[in-house]
Amino acid sequence: MSRRIIKLTIFCLVIPIVVVLGVVIFNDRAYSWVYMCVAVLSCISLFISFEKRKSNTTLLVVLAVMIALSVAGRFIFSFLPHFKPVTAMVVITGIYLGYECGFVCGAFTAVISNFIFGQGPWTPFQMFSWGVIGLIAGLISKYIVDNKLLLLIYGGFSGILYSLLMDVWTTFWYDGAFNALRFFANVATALPVTVSYVVSNIIFLLVLIKPFGEKLKRIKTKYGI
Amino acid sequence: MENNKLKSFSTLHPFVLIVYFVTILVVSMFGTNPVLLFLSLVGGMMFFGMMNSKKAFFNDLAFYIPMFFLIAIINPLFSHNGVTPLFFMNGNPVTLEAILYGGNIALMLMAVVYWCKCYSEIMTTDKFLYLFGKVIPKLSLVLSMALRFIPLFREKHREFRMVQGASGLYDQKGFVNKIICELKVFSALVTWSLENSVDTASSMKARGYGLKGRTHFSMYKFRKRDGIFLAVNLLLFSVVAFGMGIGFVDFSFYPLVTEIKTGAVQIVVYISLGVMSLLPFITELWEVIVWKYSMSKI
Repeated sequence: MSRRIIKLTIFCLVIPIVVVLGVVIFNDRAYSWVYMCVAVLSCISLFISFEKRKSNTTLLVVLAVMIALSVAGRFIFSFLPHFKPVTAMVVITGIYLGYECGFVCGAFTAVISNFIFGQGPWTPFQMFSWGVIGLIAGLISKYIVDNKLLLLIYGGFSGILYSLLMDVWTTFWYDGAFNALRFFANVATALPVTVSYVVSNIIFLLVLIKPFGEKLKRIKTKYGI
Repeated sequence: MENNKLKSFSTLHPFVLIVYFVTILVVSMFGTNPVLLFLSLVGGMMFFGMMNSKKAFFNDLAFYIPMFFLIAIINPLFSHNGVTPLFFMNGNPVTLEAILYGGNIALMLMAVVYWCKCYSEIMTTDKFLYLFGKVIPKLSLVLSMALRFIPLFREKHREFRMVQGASGLYDQKGFVNKIICELKVFSALVTWSLENSVDTASSMKARGYGLKGRTHFSMYKFRKRDGIFLAVNLLLFSVVAFGMGIGFVDFSFYPLVTEIKTGAVQIVVYISLGVMSLLPFITELWEVIVWKYSMSKI
């Protein structure tokens, strides 16, 4: 109950206040400010709800393993540009450990891998985009856990979603407003990257879902998470 | 990873450091006035230059200066606002305002990138964990465990690869084969790490993780100079934010580039940001002076 109240207060109170304040102070960059706030504050509110939730130690450790594996995956496959198992890992975490863990896995993979690849203004947006992908995967886990076709469609969709969310950010960042021309130019230049995201997500989900599903299910039943 | 060249600044309390980085980044990211952006960029570059060797600094600069011009030149392709057409391309005007706006954006990007580089060097993971450990205990546990697992997994991954290579897994060439081999090794790594993690969890439970009354060890103490730094930082930031909020330092490129205002209030805002972006530099200088003074008394 208290989780819900905290979440609601943050969404209903803090977000509008911060957004309005920012628009007043940074009137020329209102759009990029709003997008930044939405990204940062939704991360914060989901982190708080994760904190308030009852969870046992084993779940936390397994979540840490999933995060570490997805970061390690970014290194292992570093010889193939944009062909990474990160999104697939985040989706799997969301499906098997719940939507909150999915979000945390996505967001933390972004933070941790950027400790090595370099932090930047893009970090909050990567956290947000990957987090949202894990969150949605957790919410629709009922439908995609046993339906391989839907799962792969979601994998492909999440590749596009990630790319689009980052493109929206780039557009706001440059123009301070939504410049449709620049947005479509960004989307067009990112098209090969988006395609390789989609392909890699589908391939990795296809390959990883069964072994991971079995391993995680086994641990869940054996140790009672 | 701790940088030794910037001893004084990086020993400030992590909370003070993160407030400093957040305030300077907010001003650099969302400010539109070229003077403010330029001051922030100079501060960031000096800070970065102080921490790195001359060679690294100039190598970096050689990358960013062409990027600066590229962004300035590309902007008119997307934006045809402005009233001073320089020439026409495919029937669209290329305006002076759009080029200047592009230059301003490039200035902002460079300032933010430099400050983020400094952030990465100063805010090491231990400081990060200390800061968020109290607020989000569970998540910071997850974070620190994940950070520890990564080098462990890399080491194990190397071991698995060597074993598999010795038994002939990597002998065939080709793209698909390479991926299949990597996936096999990855799968082995997953099985091992999940099993291992459950051991860790039971070990933690056995030692009373999550019970009440546990304390944390930390090396950071909030000293007088942290308080002074924080106060100065917040004072300067509020002057700048006030100036931006009231519209004293507003600046717009479209339709016509406005003049850079140089009234008394504007100068105060500019000086505030200038001092704010040089705070790490000043802290360092102060330490050197104190050191020299104490040496001379011996």
